[in-house]
Amino acid sequence: MIEELRQRLRGLERPPGLEDGPAALPLGAAAVDRVLGGGLMRGALHEIAAAGEAHVAAATGFVAGVAALASQWTVWVAEDMAALESGAPYGPGLDAFGVAPERLTTVAVAQRRDLLWVMEEALRCRAVACVIGEMRHGALDAVAVRRLSLAATDTGALALILRAAPGDDASTAATRWIVSAAAADGAEPRVLAQLVRNRRGPRGQWILEWSDSDGRFTCAAHAQPVALPPRHRPHRPVARSVA
Amino acid sequence: MLTAVDDVAARLGLAAGLALTQARAMHPALDVVPEDANADAQLLDHIADWCLRYTPLVACDAPDGLLLDITGCAHLYGGEKALAADLSARLARAGLACSIAVAGSIGAGFAAARYGAAGHHANGEERKLLAPLPLAALRLDAAVVASLARVGLKQVGDIIDLPRAPLTARFGGQVVRQLDRALALEDEPLTPRLPVAPYVAEQRFPEPIAREEDVLVVAERLAQQLKLALERRGDGARRIELTLFRTDGAVRRIAAGTSRPLRDPAEIRALFVERLAALADALDPGFGFDMARLSVLIAEPCAPEQIGIGGGDEAKEMNRLVDRLSARLGGQRVRRLIAQDSHLPEIAAAAVPAQATGTDGWATFRAYRTEIEMAPRPLRLFARPEPIETVAEVPDGPPLRFRWRRALHEVVFADGPERIEGAWWSEHGGPARDYFRVEDKSGLRFWLFRAGLYRDLAPGGLAPAWFVHGMFA
Repeated sequence: MIEELRQRLRGLERPPGLEDGPAALPLGAAAVDRVLGGGLMRGALHEIAAAGEAHVAAATGFVAGVAALASQWTVWVAEDMAALESGAPYGPGLDAFGVAPERLTTVAVAQRRDLLWVMEEALRCRAVACVIGEMRHGALDAVAVRRLSLAATDTGALALILRAAPGDDASTAATRWIVSAAAADGAEPRVLAQLVRNRRGPRGQWILEWSDSDGRFTCAAHAQPVALPPRHRPHRPVARSVA
Repeated sequence: MLTAVDDVAARLGLAAGLALTQARAMHPALDVVPEDANADAQLLDHIADWCLRYTPLVACDAPDGLLLDITGCAHLYGGEKALAADLSARLARAGLACSIAVAGSIGAGFAAARYGAAGHHANGEERKLLAPLPLAALRLDAAVVASLARVGLKQVGDIIDLPRAPLTARFGGQVVRQLDRALALEDEPLTPRLPVAPYVAEQRFPEPIAREEDVLVVAERLAQQLKLALERRGDGARRIELTLFRTDGAVRRIAAGTSRPLRDPAEIRALFVERLAALADALDPGFGFDMARLSVLIAEPCAPEQIGIGGGDEAKEMNRLVDRLSARLGGQRVRRLIAQDSHLPEIAAAAVPAQATGTDGWATFRAYRTEIEMAPRPLRLFARPEPIETVAEVPDGPPLRFRWRRALHEVVFADGPERIEGAWWSEHGGPARDYFRVEDKSGLRFWLFRAGLYRDLAPGGLAPAWFVHGMFA
């Protein structure tokens, strides 16, 4: 009896987005998947921010790769300003990433409120495996993030928030990434992905390459020694020691 | 000049056409309202909308008449007389004076209502009805009426039995045609104001309903009725309209589109849930709605439901989602990507409303890409190529440095050119473009192009302009 209650309690205590099961979506790069505990958790919210305005395309590449791995119907919701500032997702380019354009639905919204509403609706649709919400600057309501996480948990879909710049809000996302472009000398699409928050384990950073032929990410650590990029963390107040 | 007078004024001897000064001289206490033809037309439109409660076939007979085809509708109100009585009572309650006539042809109805024979006239009585009326009642041109009057023909009865040939020879075909139409010898179609829906279900309420939930319940119930009719003919609804008639005469129309032929009442209800939620102004019920009508404006053939055959489920779920989102945000905001047969990158892929039908063309595109070994395409494309300032360049090569959005980018790697000809067959085709894939020092990858070639440059002309068209990951 007591044991039963304990089990129930454990079930209740488990935060959403951290359920067991075939929920992890391996990215393909072993080093990253190890840190993530098998891969990106399905049924959870992940936040991917571009390091800056110019790096939105790189962040889009990361998101497109994840959507391709989820390989199902994808819903891409973007605020009107996002398409204007960073360009609209382009079918032929997405196709090269393995995101079948015929299975992509794009939604343009005028307000943040609509963005969250569409994301939640899409997450509740069983056919959708991946919902991408692209937003410009500004904070994300913690309650809204929680609602999205819960909606994602129900169907096991991936909720991805693509931001034009790192947010400084306290987020309950399962993982947070800051993605920037990485020099590739014309090779495969290559991005520098910094995992700055991981609810299941350590953080890290990798240079990831999207391998078109295999349809997965690979670590491009061998390409060149990675010099640590300057720690640009506008989302975190700088700690100062008092003299 | 007076353009219209009410009953009281008419009894005092005033009539339309009288000069205002003269009228004022006769009755100094006269109450005058300036004419507003627009407002009149609007009011007529409102009344026409409201008349849809009686029949879907309502036509405006500007400036002050309405024609209702009540064939097959009258029994719902307990007969033609009862319908006319109901109509006149409701209009009177709304403060409108009217003259209503029911007759077997448009011409006879028009003549009876406007020339003092209002009331109910059974089919076949047109002759008796028309005979004593003036000729103008036949909707003839004033000139024709005047020339008929000159030879002493003033009433319809005067010409009904005249030989047709001389009448036509002397006064034109109009006279005989209008006479035949009024006598219901010749068919005259009524051109309704609004397209007539192929499927309609409606319900009247003894007590007005006001709550949104009730409206939705009614919509679902009506959809249930429509479903049977749709199934019988193998159709599904692509566009549905819910018309709500408020007790005070206002009419509210709410339409919703679907991405595939739809029959399921629950799904139709779900569409209206979103439509009602998206209404900018709330569904103002006033004192309530006393009638609702659900019409299928556009129907398309729809295969019978297949049960137990896998594969379609996901697509169906997806369609449902698309419908819900489109109903709330508008069909233009929910899109899907299609590939088009064009070599211009901005036209090769387009986003069309997700509810629109049509093939997507990606299979053809992939075959074509493999065939011509197309150079990589960017992940994001700007709606409008953004001009850049190139700092150093070599003819027919990529720039060494360029400024985009006020930041300087130093090119460390470039791939190209890929020449894409402009649409030379069109006046607005633009020049040929040379596309380059360039990478800057920080790893940003741009899709640049130069509009125009150096070889086409006129001596002393401006150097071709450079643009950034997209970004790679």
